[in-house]
Amino acid sequence: MSGPPLTAGAAVRLPPEPAPPGAPSASGTDVSGVTGAAGAAGVRGAGAPWALWRRQLAAVVRLELRKSFAGRRAFGLYLLALAPIVVLALRALVPRAISDPGNLGDATRLLADVYQAFILRVVIFLGSVAIFGSLIRREILDRSLHFYFLTPMRRELLVLAKYLTGLLVALTLFGVSTLGSFLLAYLPYDGRLRNAFLLHGPGLAHLGAYLLVTALACAGYGAAFLALGFFFRSPAIPALALFGWEAIHFLLPPLLKQLSVIHWLQALCPVPIAEGPFALLSDAPSRWVSICGLLALTAALVAVSAWRIRRLEVVYLDD
Amino acid sequence: MPETGAAAAASGMAARKSSSGTAAGGAGDRIVFDDVSKFYGEVLGVNRVQLSIPPGITGLVGPNGSGKTTLMNLMVGLLRPSGGTVRVLGMSADQPEQLFRRVGYATQYDAFPPGLTGYQLIESLLRVHGCDPRQAAALAWQALERVGMVEAAGRKVAAYSKGMRQRVKLAQAIAHQPTVLVLDEPLNGLDPMARAELIALLRELAAAGLFVVVSSHILHEVDLISDQVVMLNGGYVVAEGDIVGVRDEMEEQHPAQVLIRCDRPELLAAKAFEQDHVVEARMLADRSGVLLRTRDAGRFYPMLNRVVVEQGLRVESVAPADADVEAVYQYLIDGPPGNGGRP
Repeated sequence: MSGPPLTAGAAVRLPPEPAPPGAPSASGTDVSGVTGAAGAAGVRGAGAPWALWRRQLAAVVRLELRKSFAGRRAFGLYLLALAPIVVLALRALVPRAISDPGNLGDATRLLADVYQAFILRVVIFLGSVAIFGSLIRREILDRSLHFYFLTPMRRELLVLAKYLTGLLVALTLFGVSTLGSFLLAYLPYDGRLRNAFLLHGPGLAHLGAYLLVTALACAGYGAAFLALGFFFRSPAIPALALFGWEAIHFLLPPLLKQLSVIHWLQALCPVPIAEGPFALLSDAPSRWVSICGLLALTAALVAVSAWRIRRLEVVYLDD
Repeated sequence: MPETGAAAAASGMAARKSSSGTAAGGAGDRIVFDDVSKFYGEVLGVNRVQLSIPPGITGLVGPNGSGKTTLMNLMVGLLRPSGGTVRVLGMSADQPEQLFRRVGYATQYDAFPPGLTGYQLIESLLRVHGCDPRQAAALAWQALERVGMVEAAGRKVAAYSKGMRQRVKLAQAIAHQPTVLVLDEPLNGLDPMARAELIALLRELAAAGLFVVVSSHILHEVDLISDQVVMLNGGYVVAEGDIVGVRDEMEEQHPAQVLIRCDRPELLAAKAFEQDHVVEARMLADRSGVLLRTRDAGRFYPMLNRVVVEQGLRVESVAPADADVEAVYQYLIDGPPGNGGRP
């Protein structure tokens, strides 16, 4: 352990604290010419250090992506996201699996079933549990949450950064999963009809709708499981309860259906699916009500997480 | 709380010594605990802590479970007090944006974010501090160099030895050049060479004006490095201040012991006994010296000089026998030292 003194005469200095509103401009440039990020942000932002927050946000996202989603832990997630693609790829590759290559309606109905029954309810749901439920809880189990808490970063910003990381990963994985499933569902059919459907028919609109639902599902379920991570030691139990609730939503009366996320998501899907003889029918909510409602729910749940983390103490298990 | 801790705590409050005086100095330039308590449910963490910590090296000492880590975690906001307030250089732990620009903390938790190398860990956290990539890289290498980890910087932290993990934690704590450095059991797991280097580094930082707060359950270690100590037992502060001052204040209840090895210990014992402040003289079994107990160390040493000169004694050594942290701690919580160990 040797080297130059840490404080006096150090070659590099940290940026100063963000300047308060109305404070005189201060240079954040040190002897080596490195411009202080926080100082500059504080001056430009007149008390709201947006540049510093953006930098901190990016740093957490970068770190989270590196440590959580590039390792072995993410392997299960990749398998989950690949599952519908594998199923539809096998169907496309197996000879005579398609009875009528000229009937694109079969592909549309099949995709609707696979998407709503499997991708939406199982793949995205479980994937969101794994991704968002572990954003905070996993750090507590790993006894490493304090590393973030010991930095000059607002805890609310930390929650936002973690949520955005999870969202980025979920959107990438399940967006690819949705896109791949869409393409593979139509792959075995007649090329001329397929191109007409995709380029001149409703194909792209369907794809856009599915991707939108995937994005909203990741955002909504993600916010829910992030928040649950603050209230339950294991998010698996509330996740299981929510899974059951979502699974039986077609049996619920119209009023209770509105308490189900899947009800709002299904309203955005381009092709409805049959829910069986026991389903209780209700009016589907309008597209904009669904989108705005889900976004509002997401914002509210992230706000709950931000509120919880502000009061969170670091007391690891078996301390 | 263990029974011994509770008993000691009860007596500790009454027996609490302070040689520096609490709340001295401005709150803005010290670390101040004002009547701070922390309970984990019904379990006591620390109770009614009143402290004002100045710059320099402050040792938090006490056995496992005495409240050292709780006190440190309260200092940096990882825990919130059940009662009272904590301010570090005038800042509250509710303002991490300000606090952690000036505070670095190496916890006792031996866990790290997975998948990162030593360099990536330090550099990434500096980026979270708000540093740009160039700054973060420069500061990370500087910190790693200070703790002697440049060679191992490219290896995964998970593959580090205990000592290396301790050092990388220290690097993480000092990388952003804090004013207050809080280190929980920093010497654990270090080999003798690394311990000596770390102690030298801490002294260097303290000499530069930093607040260095170090905890250890090994009292001897803290005695070596601390400018002042805070002694904890069962969640209570039982004494604080510089160790000599604390010891001096205990002379009435626990007379100071001085071991003198010389050629005529009987004569020295007889002369010493003529003084009213010398309360006991005990000859060593091999008759090579005498253990004297005095209620006034300030008068004892001039007396000793005079007797040695007047009587022409050949003195081999003079050593306080109970003026170290360990002895003082034992007096405070457990009676005389050497009675069976720590609580």
